[in-house]
Amino acid sequence: MDEDLKTSVKGQILSIKDLPTLPKVLDEVSRLVQDPNANTDEIAKIISRDQVLSAKVLKMVNSPVYGFPGRIGTVQHALVLLGFNVVRGIIISTSVFDMMVKAMEGLWEHSLGCALAANVVARAAGLPDPEEYSVAGLLHDLGKVVAAVQMPELHESVSQAVREQDLRWFEAERAVMGFGHDRINAWLARHWNLPGNIREGMSHHHSPETAQLYPDTAAAVHVGDWIVRIYEYGTGGDDQAALLSRKALDMLGLKLADLDRILDEFAGQLAEVSDLDMA
Amino acid sequence: MAETPFARRQNAFLLSPDPELARLLGGLWPEDQLRFTVFERGRAAIERLFNDPPDLLVVDNRLTDISGAEVAALVKSENVYRQLPVILVLDEGDMGHAWDWDQVEVDDFLVRPLAAAQVRARVDLTMLRAMRALDANPLSKLPGNTSIIQRIQQCIDREEDFALAYCDLDYFKSFNDKYGFSRGDEVLMMTARVIVNTIRAFAGVRSFVGHVGGDDFVFIMPPDLVEEACRRVVQTFDSIVPHFYDADDRARESIVSVDRQGVTRTFPLMAVSIAVVFSTGARRLSHAGEAASIAMGLKKKAKENPKSCYVLDQRER
Repeated sequence: MDEDLKTSVKGQILSIKDLPTLPKVLDEVSRLVQDPNANTDEIAKIISRDQVLSAKVLKMVNSPVYGFPGRIGTVQHALVLLGFNVVRGIIISTSVFDMMVKAMEGLWEHSLGCALAANVVARAAGLPDPEEYSVAGLLHDLGKVVAAVQMPELHESVSQAVREQDLRWFEAERAVMGFGHDRINAWLARHWNLPGNIREGMSHHHSPETAQLYPDTAAAVHVGDWIVRIYEYGTGGDDQAALLSRKALDMLGLKLADLDRILDEFAGQLAEVSDLDMA
Repeated sequence: MAETPFARRQNAFLLSPDPELARLLGGLWPEDQLRFTVFERGRAAIERLFNDPPDLLVVDNRLTDISGAEVAALVKSENVYRQLPVILVLDEGDMGHAWDWDQVEVDDFLVRPLAAAQVRARVDLTMLRAMRALDANPLSKLPGNTSIIQRIQQCIDREEDFALAYCDLDYFKSFNDKYGFSRGDEVLMMTARVIVNTIRAFAGVRSFVGHVGGDDFVFIMPPDLVEEACRRVVQTFDSIVPHFYDADDRARESIVSVDRQGVTRTFPLMAVSIAVVFSTGARRLSHAGEAASIAMGLKKKAKENPKSCYVLDQRER
């Protein structure tokens, strides 16, 4: 596909002014930020389940206004540094989707599942700061959300290609636009000054071996994405079989045999989260 | 009438040939709050202005020997006098043309006919604005030394029970030497944010955070909450600061840099040291300087520990 389309899509993506989220987590957080005695850990735990709210606080704390762009990679740290007033400001100015709600719910579950899975994988691989792998997992499909909001027609064409040509979402994106959400993620992460590890997790989870600085993060998100697809928790936009890169496992120093333990651990955590969903 | 917003008596110069203006301004504040010295001629006031700068300068455009704009320019072009707030008094006719406020660097202006209440409010606001702008730390924008000392003195004068915490960073200099000043500034901005938000998280509490300069910060809290505040600052700082290092240094938990003697050494990651001084019914501080000198002693103790820590003043409380 031609460069002109890419340039115009990039412009559209980066000009996003209002990124909506789903009502459930937003309602919950809205209640909490009304309570002056609510503690940061509680709020962080809930925001960490929503890719859009997490992206918003990380974007804000990494903006040059605060003076340390690209340094903060966890929601917990972001909330401490932003402070209660700013967080409340973000929450009250966030709107909710009035369309595409069904599709987005699937994508939200898929992202939350990937956050949990990437965290489990990072722990199993003995990596430091596993919370940051959760964030990379949570945001790994953010580009799909932003594309749906900013370019609903292109988004619909991709969705159509998935249905009619039996493609994976990622393949359909490349067929329709010439590039995938991994590229969109890279634009967003750079524009928002997100830390390098989060950026590479977002932009290289389909090809972790091409990550230049933080292959561990890209690989953990890749494996996380595969795990959550196995469990069919939520949806990344298609129902194709997941592909697991052996290279990703190698990069993490994991063996196929380790996956049993990882999958069990993930299943346990997923049950906890699904229980929360019922509540 | 509202309480005076100023901590001590303020001196103002009025440069004006208009006795009515002098009478109006002179009658707006009690002498012990804001006292005006009136000069009917502009030139005569300049030397006095430079030798003994006031806290406020009001210049009437009706001056005949020198224009108000010129007086303002004289003051504002010298870095040592720039902070002096200048208010220009105009007549309605002066507003017939557009003023170039970039050239005439005054802080505010008043236009005749003057309404007393409005003049008073505008002057108070101008002075407070100048004070805040001058005293704010240029990096963190937190209140600086003047405000800090003022606040401590205010607590002492009101006989409040308070705890005063002095924070600084260990190994900040070696971090700066290795990573450069702008990376150092990132750490200071983060530290400011950690302290401010930790203190503010105590809802409904009278507190204060100031930035003395460099890696020195101050906060004021009620005595019964200060230890918890210190604990939270230490914990939050320690969990965030590793992210300000490059990945390899973070993994090693140390950096290689040059010490004050020029010798290459290994330094631990930065840590925050806090020294806390109390002023309570049992033992009150007598002035702001006393707090600082006690804190310096405690600081030495806190610094013996290379990790983040806080030391509370253990003298009778």
